[in-house]
Amino acid sequence: MTATIAQPEVGRARLRKEDARLVTGRTRWTENITLPGMLHLAILRSPYAHARITSVNTAPALDRPNVIAAFSGADVAETQGVLACAWPVTEDMVAPTYTPLAVTEVRHVGEPVAVVVARDRASAVDALEAIEVDYEPLPVVLGLEEALAEGSPLVHSDKGTNKCYTWIFDSAEAGTGGNAVQAEADAEVVIKRRYVQQRLIPSSMEPRSVIVDPSGGEWTMYSATQIPHIVRFLLSATTGTPEHKIRVIAPDVGGGFGGKIGVTPEEWIAFTAANRVGRPVKYTESRAESMVSAHHGRDVIQDITLSARRDGTLTGVSVKLIANMGAYLGVVGPGVPLLGAFMYNAIYKVPAYRFECTGVFTNTTKTDAYRGAGRPEATYAIERAMDELAAELGLDPVEIRRRNWITHEEFPFTTVCGLVYDSGNYEAATEKALSLLGYDDLRAEQAARRASNDPVQLGIGVSTYTEMCGLAPSRILGALRYGAGGWESATIRVLATGKVEVITGTTPHGQGHVTAWSQIVADQLGVPFDDISVLYGDTRVANKGMDTYGSRSLAVGGIALVNACEKVRDKAKVVAAHMLECSADDLEFTDGAFRVRGNPEAAKTLADVALAVFTAHNLPDGIEPQLDSEATFDPSTFSFPHGTHLCATEVDTETGQVKIRRYVCVDDVGKVINPLIVEGQVHGGVAQGIAQALFEDAVYDESGNLITGSFAEYLLPSAADLPTLEADRTETPATTHPLGAKGVGEAGTIAATPAVVNAIVDALRPRGVHDVMMPCTPERVWRAAQDGSGRGSS
Amino acid sequence: MDFLRPTTWADALSAKAEHPDAMPIAGGTDLMVGLNFGQPPPPALLDLTAVGELAGWDRDDGTIRIGAGVTYSQIIAELARECPALAVASRTVGSPQIRNRATVAGNLGTASPAGDAHPPLLATGALVEASSVRGTRVIDIDDFFLGVKRNALAPDELIRAVRVPVAAGPQQFAKIGTRNAMVIAVCTVAVALDPVRRSVGTGIGSAAPTPRRAVEAEALAAANLPWSSGGALAEDLARDFGNRVAAAASPIDDVRGTAAYRRHSLAVLARRALQWTWAEMTGGPR
Repeated sequence: MTATIAQPEVGRARLRKEDARLVTGRTRWTENITLPGMLHLAILRSPYAHARITSVNTAPALDRPNVIAAFSGADVAETQGVLACAWPVTEDMVAPTYTPLAVTEVRHVGEPVAVVVARDRASAVDALEAIEVDYEPLPVVLGLEEALAEGSPLVHSDKGTNKCYTWIFDSAEAGTGGNAVQAEADAEVVIKRRYVQQRLIPSSMEPRSVIVDPSGGEWTMYSATQIPHIVRFLLSATTGTPEHKIRVIAPDVGGGFGGKIGVTPEEWIAFTAANRVGRPVKYTESRAESMVSAHHGRDVIQDITLSARRDGTLTGVSVKLIANMGAYLGVVGPGVPLLGAFMYNAIYKVPAYRFECTGVFTNTTKTDAYRGAGRPEATYAIERAMDELAAELGLDPVEIRRRNWITHEEFPFTTVCGLVYDSGNYEAATEKALSLLGYDDLRAEQAARRASNDPVQLGIGVSTYTEMCGLAPSRILGALRYGAGGWESATIRVLATGKVEVITGTTPHGQGHVTAWSQIVADQLGVPFDDISVLYGDTRVANKGMDTYGSRSLAVGGIALVNACEKVRDKAKVVAAHMLECSADDLEFTDGAFRVRGNPEAAKTLADVALAVFTAHNLPDGIEPQLDSEATFDPSTFSFPHGTHLCATEVDTETGQVKIRRYVCVDDVGKVINPLIVEGQVHGGVAQGIAQALFEDAVYDESGNLITGSFAEYLLPSAADLPTLEADRTETPATTHPLGAKGVGEAGTIAATPAVVNAIVDALRPRGVHDVMMPCTPERVWRAAQDGSGRGSS
Repeated sequence: MDFLRPTTWADALSAKAEHPDAMPIAGGTDLMVGLNFGQPPPPALLDLTAVGELAGWDRDDGTIRIGAGVTYSQIIAELARECPALAVASRTVGSPQIRNRATVAGNLGTASPAGDAHPPLLATGALVEASSVRGTRVIDIDDFFLGVKRNALAPDELIRAVRVPVAAGPQQFAKIGTRNAMVIAVCTVAVALDPVRRSVGTGIGSAAPTPRRAVEAEALAAANLPWSSGGALAEDLARDFGNRVAAAASPIDDVRGTAAYRRHSLAVLARRALQWTWAEMTGGPR
């Protein structure tokens, strides 16, 4: 047979296979699954940020129509299990007990207190008002520095402190660089700045939803989660339920951005409720519940010090963080700042570095990973501070970066944190971005507007970022005291007709794995794109996996996939050689088929081999009649995407209104599998990054009530608020694995926030402005423009 | 909760008379948000969407009579020439989906100090047509807003229509918000010039317990604009006008902005709105 020479699938801008069902909603979400006999639960939540529960009477709820059960935390104290933190970052980290339902004390507004199970959701919700709870309010602490102050009210009085941990990295102690304290003492120029990462609320289209079916002595949990595998493990470990009796299914999941990596009170409560009533129970949160109960992100105070010579060369970086944990610890909450700890040196040659982070408890919703998780914070601080250094020395922001960045000839480069950056080309990405923007022309316009004292000033923001992706080498996670590994798994099943089922341990929730994985496998096995199905998100189908977060799925899971394909090819080659009556060594796999070298007409496709294996009539001795394979890949290192984002803003100095006029981004995410997916990720990421700079802010009043608890007050960007993105790429493949891909899920979010704020500050710098607090609302920008040295805080 | 759904205006008035505590609902863009957020439901809903008479607008001797069921999208598409300030304000309301459902009458019914339609209605001297089984009366927009989310409607009254004079000159509406779309304004200003009567109308929103006019600013501009010469607007006059608009406000500090910023930005927006409208009328530079 003759194989047609197919265009490689990898690199094609394929429309996504999964989009028709996701975009129309005609698919299985947790919320639209209805099981026989299923009941609904509703959760009564604390109206107090801190209070002792003196009594709960759920009995009156039982008299309400359709109510089957009602219970409080005290009723299930022995059986409800606990919510574990998987990342005890230090040996002495304070880890308070975190129960799904509060038993004796509530510590943030929205904490679950009692539950009603009813025949329908409305009845369950209505019956909540019949539950009687007596609270004795306790003192509240909300601010980070206040929580650390002597005599502060304690979130967990039994712990005697609000301090969760202090974690330190010092390059001098680690032997990876010099002494940052000494560098500061010796510096010709020192820049000290405080930046505040406001609290953000990860917001996905689909709120969280969970069903637990306890039928038949087994437990099936459907959950809108990013991490079904981790949920299964922790549900088993914390409730004593045997792991083999638990099946967790993440059906199609409508976005996460980190907001669905939790092991949540609601999942555990549904498990407890299902066990109490012996029937399937569903819970879907309202958006208002989501805003107070699902974990929040960021909320970090950053003190950064740059030490440098007068020529702009960095001699040291020191960072001191205070990170808000909220009232309890999320599954990886304490570790989020550590994911940024190795990124404050960014793309620069920093000789000495010190990082110190203190985690703090407050009476607020817990924090955990949100798109970028630690790395946006790091990139923001260093990229803002580099602009300050440039201003101090009278240098262009691009020039200060040129004088410090790792040049492309210097890779692989071992950083001051001991990480080895395998590849990159910061010069190329930056040149491309500057040219796309027309940097020099805009600088000329800026000068003209300054000269004419135009009420609308122009600012240009530069952000040259890198990030560590591909979470993560298991050994490094172990050294950082994380509770699990960072490997990923893939299985290939070749069906008798030559169609292929791919099983991945990643858990896509909007990323497009079905499409990208199909493209990879199509090239690897010579199978048409449409002949490949990708299965995921069900622990009974994809039994091994570490799920999806941290831009890891392609850079780790993709390699497992390539390795699994290689195993299939190796085995199929033996069978093909048998069929072609030649030696396997005489075969090569080209253009989608096994061909005899020098006689390409003699060929067998994978489908030919699959049928032969299925019939098994004539297999070589010792060959099993199946073509499946499985591979698990543990990365040896991280991957390091990078890029240059440039933002031009017009700032109305009279009203403080900011308009993004241009946004140019050149990202280098290594080898690209599907440019359309990459561009989509960049667009979404940049939108979220811009949103932190300009709009989003979770604000508590002095009593600990979230006063931005709806989308009328918590401002997500709409299309009308965003500029046309001018997105381009350079492509410097990763050298540490065969796919060359580096990950793209978080890049835009990491890069965009400092690009926007740098642009605003750049516009106002002649007025003495050196910072504007995020989000840069019109009022804050106006205030900064008025009082010059101020930061527009109000 | 009772749900009343009359199909004629007469039936609607009877229903309101029988159920004075029934909450009228048209687009539902305000009421349903509150219900979804767990606010206590009203005893009854009076759905007006089946009352055909409310859905259109007509022109009567220099006045546009906008039926209570007319949506912002209709105003943008059909009344941009006749009611420019209202049309500009309508473009800033919510999102396309909200503009397809929400109505000016609904905005008046809620009477929020932040309602985007109110400043243009104040600046143009609109009249609110209120009906009940007792008859119909016309309420001057100046007398309509009584307090935060309180208006001059009697319990048995429904808004039948809003009467807006056809614009005699340029009009503008300006708004400050943290986000472009779907945001409750930090403050809003509308300005309407009437070269025939040589008068200036104003309306400000999110700046006081009720939307209100800046009467002193109107008088200042009317007296000092170079109506006869059509000459350039003096910078000093524009600034004084802006400052007097700001002085008419009694804003508060809240999560969206401080009183001081609101006052300042009202002055800037009002100054600019006067400059824009004057430039439009005289063909001068903006």
